[in-house]
Amino acid sequence: MYLNFQQAQIYLGTGGKVFDANLPTVIFLHGSGMDHRAWQLQTRWFAFHGFSVLAPDFPAHSLSTGQALASIEAAAIWVWDLIDQLKIQTVSLVGHSQGALVALEAAAMQPARIRSLSLLATGAAIPVNDQLLQLAQKNKPAAVAAMLSWGFGEAYQFGNSQVPGLAPLAIAGQIMQQNPLATDLAVCQAYQNGELAAQKIIAPTQLIFGEYDRMTPIKAGRALAGVLPNLQSHTELASGHMLPVEEPAACLQLLRNFIQPFALRA
Amino acid sequence: MPTASFFAPATIALHTGYQPEPPYGSRAVPIYQTTSYAFGEASVGAALFNVEQGGHIYSRMSNPTVAVLEQRLAALEGGVGCVCTASGMSALFTTFLSLCSVGDHIVAAAQIYGSTATLLRYTLKRFGITTSFVNINDHTAVATAIQANTKLVFCESIGNPALDIADLPKLAAITQAQAVPLVVDATFATPALAKTIDLGANIVVHSLTKWIGGSGNAVGGAIIDGGNFNWGTEQRAFPTLTEDYAPFQGLNFWEEFGPAAFTMRVRAEAMRDFGAALSPQNAFLLLQGLETLNLRMAKHVDNAQALAEWLTQQGGVAWVNYPGLSTHPQYVLAQELMPQGAGSILSFGIHGGLAAGLAFMDALQLGTNLANVGDSRTLVLHPASTTHSRLDSQAQQAAGISADLLRVSVGLEALQDIQADFSRGLKAAAKLVKE
Repeated sequence: MYLNFQQAQIYLGTGGKVFDANLPTVIFLHGSGMDHRAWQLQTRWFAFHGFSVLAPDFPAHSLSTGQALASIEAAAIWVWDLIDQLKIQTVSLVGHSQGALVALEAAAMQPARIRSLSLLATGAAIPVNDQLLQLAQKNKPAAVAAMLSWGFGEAYQFGNSQVPGLAPLAIAGQIMQQNPLATDLAVCQAYQNGELAAQKIIAPTQLIFGEYDRMTPIKAGRALAGVLPNLQSHTELASGHMLPVEEPAACLQLLRNFIQPFALRA
Repeated sequence: MPTASFFAPATIALHTGYQPEPPYGSRAVPIYQTTSYAFGEASVGAALFNVEQGGHIYSRMSNPTVAVLEQRLAALEGGVGCVCTASGMSALFTTFLSLCSVGDHIVAAAQIYGSTATLLRYTLKRFGITTSFVNINDHTAVATAIQANTKLVFCESIGNPALDIADLPKLAAITQAQAVPLVVDATFATPALAKTIDLGANIVVHSLTKWIGGSGNAVGGAIIDGGNFNWGTEQRAFPTLTEDYAPFQGLNFWEEFGPAAFTMRVRAEAMRDFGAALSPQNAFLLLQGLETLNLRMAKHVDNAQALAEWLTQQGGVAWVNYPGLSTHPQYVLAQELMPQGAGSILSFGIHGGLAAGLAFMDALQLGTNLANVGDSRTLVLHPASTTHSRLDSQAQQAAGISADLLRVSVGLEALQDIQADFSRGLKAAAKLVKE
C-alpha cells in the first residue's frame, strides 16, 4: 500500500493482505540498497497467518519517493513516526543488515513498545570498506557488483534459487542499481551507537547470522550477542549476508517460531 | 549492468543452478521425470500455492531439471529469471499474451520468421491484439508505429531468413523513450554471440531447438526476463503486471516481485493456463547442448564465414548474403554487436532462379533439406515455398525473401566436405540452366 507520509509517497509491502492495525504487527526493514522484496518469502506467510505486515521501502528506495534518510538514528525516528501515524501500539521488529541497525536503534528508543526484535546479518556496527564506499559514490555499477559478489554466499554464486527459474543475484542487482546505495553505505559506516542501544533493549531478541557472511563478519554478530540483555535465540545458518533471500525457508521458520508467542500474547 | 553470475559463460553453462546433491551426488543434472512433488505437510502445499515459499508443485508450472536449464539461461543472458516452454513459438505466444490483452497492439519487425509473422498477423488478431509490421531498420517507422495501446516492440536480433541485423541499442533508445518493452528473439545469435540484454533488450526469447540444443533432437523455448523495465511507469499501463490479480488473492506482480514481475506472471498464469511446459527429458537434452554451446558456436561461425566467402567465388552463384561478409549492408553493425560472429545462417541465390535452386538442394548429399536451423548438421531450405509460404507476396518481400533465396544453416562438418557437397549442387543447378 502507498502512504503519504512526511512529504513523500511511501510504499509499504503488506504481504498481499490489507493492513489491519488491530492485528499483531510485524515490521520488516530492508538493508542497504534493497527494498521490501528482500522479505518476499517471509512477509506473505505472516500476512496470511494472523499478522499485519509492514515492509516499507525506505524513502528514495524503489517504490517510495522522498529523500534518503541520512542516519540510522533518523531512520529509527522515521520508523516510529510511521508506526504512530498508523496508530499501532506495539510491534515486532525484524531487520536485515542496515535494516537491523535501524531496528536496533528503534527498539532502544521506545523499548516498551517492542514485542520482539529479530536481527539478521548484523553486528552492533557495520563498518563499510573504504574502497566500497568510494566505489558507490563514483561507480555505482561496480559497487553493486561488489555487493553481489560479497553479499551472496557460494551456493548463490552458483546460481541457486529457492524460486524456480529466478536469478537472485540479478534481481538484487537491479534493485540496488535503482536505489541510493552510496548514502546507505555511508549511513552504516557512520553509525556508532549500536552497543549502547543494544543495552537498552528489554524485548526478547533473536539473532540470525550467516556463517559465510563477508559483509558483516560473524564475529561482529557474536559480539553483539554478548551485550543484548534479553537474547533468547541465536542461530547461525550456512549462508552469506543475504539471509532472507539465500535461506528464505529457514529464516521464515526461525522468525515464525520466535515471533509468534510474543506477538500473539495479549 | 547488474550481473546474474560472476562466472564466465563457459562455466555458467556447465555449473549454474546445479551442484551435486544428496543422496547420490549425481554429477550430471538428474532428470526429474515426475509430474508432481510431495508436500510433506499440508501446510507446505498451501504455502506453495499462495506463493509464500518457493518450490515445485506440478511440472506444468516448474520442474527441477527444467529449472536448472532456466537458471543457466538467465545467467548466460544476464537476466533476472527465465521460464522454459515447450517450443520457441510457445515462448513467443506466452510472452505476447502475458503482456497484451484484447485491444492492445504490437509493433513488430517485418523481417521475421514466417510462423511468428503468422501468429502476429492472424492468430493474435482473433484475440483482439493487432500488430503493425515495420522495417526494423527504419527507426522513424518504428517510433511512429508505437501507439498509446502498444505493449511491446518485437524483432529478431538476426532476422530469419534475410539476416537483417536489428540495431538493438538504437531500438532500445526508441522504446525506452516511449516506455515500451523491447522483446527480442535472439535464436540466431544465441547467448554465445551476443549479450542481448546488455544491448538493450528487456525480454529475450529463444527457440532452444536450434543452436542451444544443437543436435536437432529436442524442441524447446525460453523466455528470459531482463528485469530492466519499469512496469510501474506512469507513461504507459501494463495491467497484467501492475493490477491486482484475483486468482492469487489480489497479488500485484510489480509490487511483490519488482524486477522479476514478468517472469513470475508468466509462471503463475501462462504456464498454469496455457500449459506449454518443457518436458524434463527435453530439458536434459537441451542442457547437454548448452554445455558446449560456446565451443560449437565458434566452429559454426567459422564454417559459415568460410562457406559464405567460398560461395561468392563460385560461378553459378548469383548472390550471397551473410552479415560476416563486407558486402553485407550491415557488416559494420554486425561486427559491433556480434564481434564473435553473426551466426551461422547464410542465404544465397543461384543463376537460373528458383528451379536452379531446387535442383541444387535435390543434389546435395550432406546438406539436408528440411525446416529447421541450428542443427550440428548442415541444413538447407527454400523459405518462400516452406517456412514463409503462409505470407503473401507483399509480406515476403517486406521480409526480404526473394523467390530464389536458399537458406543454409551451416553445420559442424569439415568445411571441405560441405564445399564438395555444395559443388555437387551447383553443378546440378548449372546443368539445369544449360538444358
